[in-house]
Amino acid sequence: MQKEFAFFPGCVLTQAAIEAKMSIEAIAPVLGITLKEIKGWSCCGASQAQDVDPLATLVANARNLALAEQMKLPVLTTCSTCLLMLRRAKAQLDNGQKEKINTYLAKGNMNYQGTSEVTSLLWLLAQNAEELKSKVKKPLSKLKVAVFYGCHSIRPSKDLGFESSTNPTSFETVVRALGAEVVPFTKRLDCCGFHAVYPAEKSVMKMTSGIVNSAAESKADCVVTPCPLCQMQLDIYQDDAQETTKSKARLPVIHLAQLVGLALGIDAKKLGLDYNVIDASKIA
Amino acid sequence: MKFIIDRFDGKKNYQQTYTVEKQDIEALTLLGTLLFIKQHLDLTLNFTASCRMAICGACGVRVNGHAYLGCDTKMTELFEEYKDADTFRISPLANYTVLSDLVVDWEPAIENLRKIKPGLVAKDEFSEKEGCRQNQEQYDRIVGQWDCILCGVCASECNKLTADHSDYMEPFVFTHAWKLANDSRSKDPMIHTKAAVMNGLWNCVHCHECTNRCPKHISGAEDIAGLRALAMRKGLNSGVGPAHAKSFYTDLVEDSGRLNEIRLALRTEGVSTVARAGTAITLMRAGKMNPLEIFGGHEIEGHKDLVKMIEAAKAANKE
Repeated sequence: MQKEFAFFPGCVLTQAAIEAKMSIEAIAPVLGITLKEIKGWSCCGASQAQDVDPLATLVANARNLALAEQMKLPVLTTCSTCLLMLRRAKAQLDNGQKEKINTYLAKGNMNYQGTSEVTSLLWLLAQNAEELKSKVKKPLSKLKVAVFYGCHSIRPSKDLGFESSTNPTSFETVVRALGAEVVPFTKRLDCCGFHAVYPAEKSVMKMTSGIVNSAAESKADCVVTPCPLCQMQLDIYQDDAQETTKSKARLPVIHLAQLVGLALGIDAKKLGLDYNVIDASKIA
Repeated sequence: MKFIIDRFDGKKNYQQTYTVEKQDIEALTLLGTLLFIKQHLDLTLNFTASCRMAICGACGVRVNGHAYLGCDTKMTELFEEYKDADTFRISPLANYTVLSDLVVDWEPAIENLRKIKPGLVAKDEFSEKEGCRQNQEQYDRIVGQWDCILCGVCASECNKLTADHSDYMEPFVFTHAWKLANDSRSKDPMIHTKAAVMNGLWNCVHCHECTNRCPKHISGAEDIAGLRALAMRKGLNSGVGPAHAKSFYTDLVEDSGRLNEIRLALRTEGVSTVARAGTAITLMRAGKMNPLEIFGGHEIEGHKDLVKMIEAAKAANKE
């Protein structure tokens, strides 16, 4: 397993998903991983800034990648939208934009070379599932889990491409390595709606509610997601969404790193389980 | 092996299972398999198909919940994708009204296409004699989008359309609007862009299903983003969607370099609105949002350099 990474937390881990940062930083040393936060990383554009200025968004991410290159490390993030934005920028740079964008980076004495790959916590764990399994102290054998991939972990394939986008297996592999039961969950590949919660609120609440209800119908104890934005949408907006559709189901929604932490025997407090809006204490 | 096909006879929905020998269909396409079933097992099975070479766009269907163009999908690809499954579920495209079995009603989607004025309105300088000339670069810019064959695969997968189609259009409609708005021969990009804005452009949920499934490798989501950026540049920037996108850009370039979640809500919906107040209170109660962040600050290391880089990019690419 690659042991050292240039860590790209993404904006949401510094604020509304603070528990995602707490949990990834808690599991990393137990898994023997060193996360070195990229100094001076900027917002990736969050799948929004390109609607205003695609070039500025590409420049910002070229700079983010160049900062990681200076550390001579591959990039790791847990936010799926950051993953997509960084990987898309890398693909654009490596396929013809590098020279042009480097003339702009030069204004800050920086240069993008293309030497740092970009990966996610989910992919890293899936690639090293056996090693992960060997470190499990408290197998989650009684836990029924609905795995929710989140769009930007799998789509579009041309930018992500780690696995099949219609029949992915990485998340199930990881959750099974932790000893938990993966329940059949029809909406595991659906969209939570997070990116349009402002302009298309009514639709988004329906989408969020549908996912929670589908997980509840599968008799899951919780929903787990690798993406902090999906977690926010399904957790923070869950009560609003259920009210919109007059649904009763209420399920804890936890971050991938929190689930891993529980199986590694890390204290729930250290994993920030208190910060989840829907009470997740029963899972611990 | 088995094919479970969703059928509709005009009155009731039901599933019918067809058993075929794998060796009979493994060298075929998905459309070939449907034709095989019709020819050998059930003449009553209805689906649409014509060219068999990914040009007419008539044979889009769903396999295991995901849309494919039947004639452009080899059965061997499906065996690989679904790990040698011995049962496939075949359904009509989603987000369309089913007329019969795998046949769907295209009329509402075509109505939407009409809304963005899908014909080229040429610049005044172009004449019948001279035609509408383009140089190679201008042609290359739009040639990808010209490949759209109206197969409906993108629309079938669109999460926004599934949630509510009343305030949105099929992704391919936005692709057609982008194509015309970015065609050097077009008289006015806003003829198409404005219609896209008025019919749900900002309601895309960024699920990227359209980009992912298009058999012609067209990115509907990127065309939507392109139309949004064009609309903003041309001053069509009122409403929640543009304000939301702009707030990310403002934080990135003009403020700290990172997103400020408190300011995001205020910038998106304005100080006077309380629509998001409940969420803010939930976040603050959970200890996830610091109200003092409203004052901003915490500029990232190297932000001034980032701004210089972005300004250089802007200066070099001024329209």
